[in-house]
Amino acid sequence: MLKRIPRYSPFKDKEKFSAIFSENVKYFYVVLFVLAFFIPVFIPNKYVIHTFISVMLYMVLALGLNIIPGFTGLLDLGYVGFYAIGAYTAATMTYHLGTLGPPWGFLSSFWFILPIAALNGALWGILLGVPTLRLTGDYFAIVTFGFASLVELIIINEMWLTRGPMGIIMDHKPVMNLAFMYPLTKHFFAEPIRFTLVGDAPFFYILLSIVIITIIIMNRLEDSRLGRAWFAIREDEIAAECSGINIMKYKVIAFAISASFGGLAGSVFAFWFMFTSPESFKFWESILILCMVVLGGMGSIPGVILGALVLTSLTEVVRELLDPWPDLVQARFLVFGVILIVMMRFKPAGLIPLSRVKREMGSRDKSIIDAMNESFYKFKSGKG
Amino acid sequence: MVFDQLIGNFKLGIDYAIEQLINGINIGGIYALIAVGYTMVYGIIELINFAHGEIYMLGAYMAFTFYVMLHLPFPIAVLLSIFTCMLLGILLEFVAYRPLRNAPRLAALITAIGASLFLQNLALIIWGGIPKSFPEQTLPDFFQSPIITIHGNANISLLQYNIFFITVFLMLGLHLLITRTKIGTAMRACAQDKTTASLMGINVNRVITFTFAVGSSLGAVAGILAGLYYNIIKHTIGYVAGVKAFAAAVLGGIGNVPGAMLGGFVLGIAETFGAGYISSPYRDGIAYAVMILVIVFRPSGILGRKQTVKV
Repeated sequence: MLKRIPRYSPFKDKEKFSAIFSENVKYFYVVLFVLAFFIPVFIPNKYVIHTFISVMLYMVLALGLNIIPGFTGLLDLGYVGFYAIGAYTAATMTYHLGTLGPPWGFLSSFWFILPIAALNGALWGILLGVPTLRLTGDYFAIVTFGFASLVELIIINEMWLTRGPMGIIMDHKPVMNLAFMYPLTKHFFAEPIRFTLVGDAPFFYILLSIVIITIIIMNRLEDSRLGRAWFAIREDEIAAECSGINIMKYKVIAFAISASFGGLAGSVFAFWFMFTSPESFKFWESILILCMVVLGGMGSIPGVILGALVLTSLTEVVRELLDPWPDLVQARFLVFGVILIVMMRFKPAGLIPLSRVKREMGSRDKSIIDAMNESFYKFKSGKG
Repeated sequence: MVFDQLIGNFKLGIDYAIEQLINGINIGGIYALIAVGYTMVYGIIELINFAHGEIYMLGAYMAFTFYVMLHLPFPIAVLLSIFTCMLLGILLEFVAYRPLRNAPRLAALITAIGASLFLQNLALIIWGGIPKSFPEQTLPDFFQSPIITIHGNANISLLQYNIFFITVFLMLGLHLLITRTKIGTAMRACAQDKTTASLMGINVNRVITFTFAVGSSLGAVAGILAGLYYNIIKHTIGYVAGVKAFAAAVLGGIGNVPGAMLGGFVLGIAETFGAGYISSPYRDGIAYAVMILVIVFRPSGILGRKQTVKV
């Protein structure tokens, strides 16, 4: 009914910053990943590597969730359900099939389970998506919430499959031989660094490559016909349908892809953490991932990466700060609640907003809009 | 094995069924009281107020604080708790929802989730993670003793009777408020069309504040009743009860007050019968499953009308 009145923004420079950033985002990625590559080399601290692994795990999760609220404009509160399905695919397969003997040994290997978990996630995404995706926003959010809660209940109660609240302990980590790295580093260090299975280092590299692949896939998706269809659905569902977009088909595809990333991250989590229990897949985990997407900027890939980085580090910081009061560690979610409220109130487009979203939600200054518009197309067409 | 259990359960007989029915009506009454808050807010501003379950939880905690910690008489503690929750509901609307009145619905929904997360963890910080309960002598003895006995086994105590009675009484009051008073008419007008209502001289903001106040106070009553009935108050009770109450609101047709009452009772009875006869670990799952099935197959609910999408 009433038009939203544009607010005066004294921070014009920030908008310039985000414009510069979005033009040079490719170099930013490259620098980031070159830096990330050497983290286990320069900081061989177990805690630091552990934190970075969880940061990257949440990056994959947040990028996967981003497809639903960011690209198609639906709210998915049950993402943790797919995460749990992926983790339990890995855990139950190693637990029940791990003892089958030599010819079937591959059934419990990491590299076999990884795609299976992703496919299982996608399967459940489709099974949930087909009947529910025709619902409008709020109802859809509630149904996904119900789905995640049902997944949790089934995991707790189906003892024969999942061992219920006791959880499943994994007996092996994936093997990744990085000995070939040795000649590269022997010039820099007096002592040779053993890359073969030192603590969490192999997992660091596995996750780093998964993150890079995820980002590449997301970037390609965003620019593809599929991505354009999703954006059209997000902007105006009815108009998109009138333009000949098969809404259901594209929504189900979005849901399946999003769920498969959840399942993939879940299986990696199971293998990394070596212990899978229902405690890790509470409903609030979904909200934490949603929080990352919202903080970074829904739909904006660099934004979501930043959001995951900031919030996972924040979780660690808050946990450290609250260490003297073990009762309060659980209450750290309070911070995330405040972040959700404050972001929606003051910066609904996120820290690094999509130029498109920014034009809708932010300043109405025409010159900035034009500049953003231009840079957006330059960036997208690769001329910039 | 499951079938043996099922057959065994059916052999438990009529007394068991009546007990389940009574439990269901009680739990349903509590759900109905919360569901009314959801449905009224949804009817007017089309927002699922996720934090409403947290108001219910805080209602129970407030009554506990005023009664056990500050040693006030129980009726005064109850009234103070209702009043505090009313203020909290108004504050919530003012701080979190009002600035987003014209924002996209996704933004408002995320804010509501944030508010719920905030309140739940605030309660965890204030009252700690250990469950609290009202002391034994909160209500006089005669509330606990059975007043009606059926077949010698199914007992109804006065407390259970009172939950039903209080629920029905409050619902009746709410119905009269909505249909007979001026502010009730204004609420119905706003639910119909906010813009036109404001053109007719209705202060829409005041109506929305009033709606939040009424919904929150009913939620607080539900919280106190549940605290007495289950005798356990924890910071997590709000979100489970909130979702079930939302399921009840959807079941009855969201935006429809009599529907929310009916939905609450139906869901409560379905849940206790499901827990008693099918599988008690899946007690919460039954509510979620009912909710998903209703949303998928009949989103307008039992009493709701089918809405067409306007282009």
